[in-house]
Amino acid sequence: MVQIRSLYDDFTQTFGNILFAVSLFVVWGILTFIGVIVDQGKSPDIYFSSYPAPIARAIVRLNFDNIYHSPWYIGIVGLILISLTVCTFKRVIPARLPPLRPVKIPHIPLNASMTVAGNVSDVRARVDAFFAKRGFQIRKREFDGIEWSFADRHNWARRGVLVAHLGFVIIAAGTTLYWARGFSGETAIVTGQTTQIPQTKATIRLDSFNYHITPILTKSGMVYQPTDYVSQVTVTGNDGIAKHMTVRVNHPIDIDGTLYYQASYGFAMRLAVTHNGVANAQLSQQVLAEGDSLTLPGTRETVTYERFVPTVDRATRMPSADPRVNDPAVVLNVTQAGNDAGTLLVPLHTAIDLGAGWRVAPASYLLYSGFQYRYDPGIPLVGIGALVLLAGLIISFYFLPARYYVRVDERPNGKCDIGVAASTVKGYDIFATQFDALLAEFTPAMETTT
Amino acid sequence: MTGHPQADELLMIIAIACYTIGALALIVYFFSRDKWLVNLGAPLAVVGCVAQFTQLVVRYELTNVWPLLNLYGSLSLFAAMSVAIFIVFAIRYKLWFAGGFVLALAAITLAYGVTWNEGTLPAVPSLQSYWAKVHVPIVVSSYAAFLVAFVFSCIYLVKYYAERRAAADSATVAWLESLPSLAQLDVIVYRAVAIGLPLISLGIITGAAWAKEAWGAYWQWDPKETAALCTWIVYLAYMHLHTRNAWRGVRTNWVSVIGFAVVIFTYLGVNIWISGLHSYKM
Repeated sequence: MVQIRSLYDDFTQTFGNILFAVSLFVVWGILTFIGVIVDQGKSPDIYFSSYPAPIARAIVRLNFDNIYHSPWYIGIVGLILISLTVCTFKRVIPARLPPLRPVKIPHIPLNASMTVAGNVSDVRARVDAFFAKRGFQIRKREFDGIEWSFADRHNWARRGVLVAHLGFVIIAAGTTLYWARGFSGETAIVTGQTTQIPQTKATIRLDSFNYHITPILTKSGMVYQPTDYVSQVTVTGNDGIAKHMTVRVNHPIDIDGTLYYQASYGFAMRLAVTHNGVANAQLSQQVLAEGDSLTLPGTRETVTYERFVPTVDRATRMPSADPRVNDPAVVLNVTQAGNDAGTLLVPLHTAIDLGAGWRVAPASYLLYSGFQYRYDPGIPLVGIGALVLLAGLIISFYFLPARYYVRVDERPNGKCDIGVAASTVKGYDIFATQFDALLAEFTPAMETTT
Repeated sequence: MTGHPQADELLMIIAIACYTIGALALIVYFFSRDKWLVNLGAPLAVVGCVAQFTQLVVRYELTNVWPLLNLYGSLSLFAAMSVAIFIVFAIRYKLWFAGGFVLALAAITLAYGVTWNEGTLPAVPSLQSYWAKVHVPIVVSSYAAFLVAFVFSCIYLVKYYAERRAAADSATVAWLESLPSLAQLDVIVYRAVAIGLPLISLGIITGAAWAKEAWGAYWQWDPKETAALCTWIVYLAYMHLHTRNAWRGVRTNWVSVIGFAVVIFTYLGVNIWISGLHSYKM
């Protein structure tokens, strides 16, 4: 039992230590920084081609290629949350209302003493009136027959750090709620097609998709600036009523609490496939997204639609930077028996001969629109948590709780000695100017005689 | 639209000229303490700052495109806010002696920003949001506060190390004594960070809210987001260390210097060298 108690004490002492918390911040910061400079989620080949082999090996084996979901990262965030919890209960809450107790005034850096005329009760009344007039909360306690006055300001602001920590807890609760009950996904819909979202059973038909590109001649040359991506959709939610809606970037639509976002777009393609001059209706009907393939019947030849080129430069016959569809072509890759037979830039309506009577021509393109969807019941909690966190930071930084300790001792010749000291939760230097300013008013108010 | 390049560039030239001359005057003042130099440098700082804010407003009025959506505009605001925050500090705490360094950094920032001026481009769809008018100024203002903290941290560290080495040199000692005490400088740095940290927290929060609206998730682990998180962590560490008497002072001021290096990496390095969802240069 004693051993458990000792372990518990060691645990709370370690995790309740601010320097330990800062050490965790340092590790957290370094891991996060690694994630900034190392491309995330790439294949190992890319790291080995971009970095020297030992570094690439370290990136791959230490999960630095997916660092934010690595055990190291999740572990350090977990340790920080434990540290935050222990600090809250061990340091923040106990420090909230420090006890009223006497201090050795000369030992406190912000201190002053003076002798004033008057009997002790008058002087104490003057002290109390002085601080009360300036908004301080006065409390009196007697220790060993000596009366002390404690003047507190912004005592409530001692809760600032607690409020900030609470904000983190609420944000964590909100994100946990998403993990527990929320979902997300993405879907791409070709113009004219309808898709059903598996989690909600809502259906979405893409009526049309448009994008707007504005060519602008800048000092560095021509820039093709995208200015709008807009999907016109017909959606049917739980109520069974079809509704026409518009989805734009920054303007998601809400279907039964799930939000749908304009995420991407692309060009689907139909390839006209003929064999000995006869159209293959089945293959020619297929709508291929970028990366999709079709295999020619009776052969081991596969044609992959790699990507759409909106405009081919007429002079060079190479893809141009203009993303508007002017003179389109597609990049097709052909494999024979699994071996790469070549990649071609094929203009629209231009056939390529694949041998054995097979010909393939890019026939027509269809725009598709990519949507992300997300149901997140934790949004309100995360929002509240963020506001609470911010409130905690503002309270902590802009309302400095300060306490004045005042002791009045009666002297035999009708005079009194006053000792004043001040302390804050952020040390003494930060309060030095205010202490001097207050003292400049305090001294005449007490009618200093020496 | 006609005439806007002239008005825009004229105001920018005025600002750069004011900052450059003001910086020279105040840097000389830093060493010489001739009062007239403050009387020259301080008004120039104010005029340059006003010219910059006017330039941003004029640019918005004439182009109808929010001027902070590219590196040129945001660097302009960064310089203007750095000078504005410094002016407030200088007036309140009598800190004009440090103005030369702030103005010099503002002038360098502006001159660098001008190299990114590609004229007026319409906003890309992801930037067409009211959040652009909230998120960007908040984040840039936080960086500006960290710049002010950085300048005073550097002065703190110079004074700290100079005091340890120059005990015998009476001229140096006299000059060092003309600077605020280390404790006062440390408090100034703390106050600047106390402006920057809530602002960058608010910036991250508003950025998350915007990301939620634009991309469907608060957090995408985009390089800019994570670099901003790094910045936030460094200044959070600063604030925690500043509560410890043993760490308050030279160590926390080194953290402030490191923090500003991270700010620069977050602000410029990520935008320029690392591609991601925040690669808005032009």
